[in-house]
Amino acid sequence: MRKLLILSPLVLALALAACEDKTTPAAPGPGGEIKTPASPEPGPPTPDDAPSDGGAEQPSSEPNPPAPGPPVLPADPPAPSPVSFDHNPPGVMPNGQGHGYLDRTVWSPAMCWPLQDAAFANSQVYGHGGGMGPAGTSQCDSANYSLPWRDNFCEARSRDNPLCAGGGTGHQGQDIRPATCKKNQYWAVAAEKGVITDIGSYTVTLVGSASPHRTYRYLHMQMAALSVKEGDAVVAGQKLGKVANDFGGTPTTIHLHFELRAGVAGTTTDGKPVVLHTFLPPYMSLAEAYQRKLNGTAC
Amino acid sequence: MRLLTGLMLGGILATGALGAALSQTRVDPATGAPIPGAAAPTATTATPTRRPGVAVLNRPPRGGQVDWRAAVGGLRQSGGGNPAPNLNQAAVDMTRVPILLPADNDLTAGARIYSFGDYYTITADAPGVGISLSGTTAVVPLPAGTPLKITPTGPEGATSQRTVDGQLISFVRYGVLYTVEVRCDAPTDPRCADDNYARGLAAKTTTVVMGAAARAAAGLGG
Repeated sequence: MRKLLILSPLVLALALAACEDKTTPAAPGPGGEIKTPASPEPGPPTPDDAPSDGGAEQPSSEPNPPAPGPPVLPADPPAPSPVSFDHNPPGVMPNGQGHGYLDRTVWSPAMCWPLQDAAFANSQVYGHGGGMGPAGTSQCDSANYSLPWRDNFCEARSRDNPLCAGGGTGHQGQDIRPATCKKNQYWAVAAEKGVITDIGSYTVTLVGSASPHRTYRYLHMQMAALSVKEGDAVVAGQKLGKVANDFGGTPTTIHLHFELRAGVAGTTTDGKPVVLHTFLPPYMSLAEAYQRKLNGTAC
Repeated sequence: MRLLTGLMLGGILATGALGAALSQTRVDPATGAPIPGAAAPTATTATPTRRPGVAVLNRPPRGGQVDWRAAVGGLRQSGGGNPAPNLNQAAVDMTRVPILLPADNDLTAGARIYSFGDYYTITADAPGVGISLSGTTAVVPLPAGTPLKITPTGPEGATSQRTVDGQLISFVRYGVLYTVEVRCDAPTDPRCADDNYARGLAAKTTTVVMGAAARAAAGLGG
């Protein structure tokens, strides 16, 4: 399933560095006078500090992950996407780390790669230095900063994730490590044109202008120095903030947790019709967006 | 009521299925009309499923899937006014779906609305918690082979999902998908530990507001 062409991280970084730098804020968007204080104005980056090995990415109140079961695979798995860098197939979880998922839809087919530079999609909890990773390892281990990518949308968590097999729980997003193990250095950028509708203590929410108005959530950026505030209209590729490990006081590794949501109409596992706003697997959209970036295609 | 909501849900899903069937043709999100010559990428068994097509629920006449009659009933029950005059009126006026607000003046007093016409979201704050109230007629159909492990309850098909920082409630009213999301600053905040607070908030979203576009679509004039 993996592709033969394996690009080194350096090559990836060089290719991505050549991409367009979009820093100019767009004009104010539709609606939205802001009545409450928005996020702090961008300030100088905080000095790099030694990254701590946390990797929890779940509140202390959250129960341990549910007992994992066998991974699932679609009955008729589609051929891999036209992505040339080394990446594991979507929806597949290593044994003992979750149930996986069957859907292979590219839910945001024109999405912009949400980081300015090269990065590595993998698991920060089960990776080196993670809370459930190999003992005695560091989050800065080179294993975490090398290909292949791996999908962790359905990685075992107690949070609801209805598309995941097993109990319908999972991680809800994709973990992406920046190019190197340094926080407050690498920009996260807007996945598509839209409006910043909310900024939480460690979350930034972007709603796409185009139907179906996908919701993108960016977690763990350097919240004290964001480049956007609530109500800002942004263009695809515009800088939002720098990847860090902010998590409201709970330790986590340096990474971007990237979520994709939308309103969907479907059927429950017991055959009932259901319409809801829920999490969609971003892995395929990310892989194709990354490939476009490698190819030099502007967002 | 149960029957009516069932019919509405059925209508949405039927439209979703139609959207899936027509997914090879792009549609104009504003009108639902096919865009000539704008064929979506062809999905084959050799490639992952691509789903740029949207099951746009607005269908003529007058907004189609929105149950305007029921929505106008809700508007009249609400008194017909806007209990949150602080909301940006231009954004309210461009919203083509009924806007739901909670009967909670403290919450709505500082709220902000962001609208894209067929989608709006209202962001509000309370101490230690952020709240989003959203409504849309644009949903995407899920492939038939990927069922959802979730249990809708009640006449409005309500679902609740625990998120990384809170709770996410969805329900269908007037043919519109509404969501209530609660995000807590502290992971131990009891308002996010379970869905009681979020469901209570959803239960309070009984005030209907319609701006110019929604009133026009409902036949009430601008």
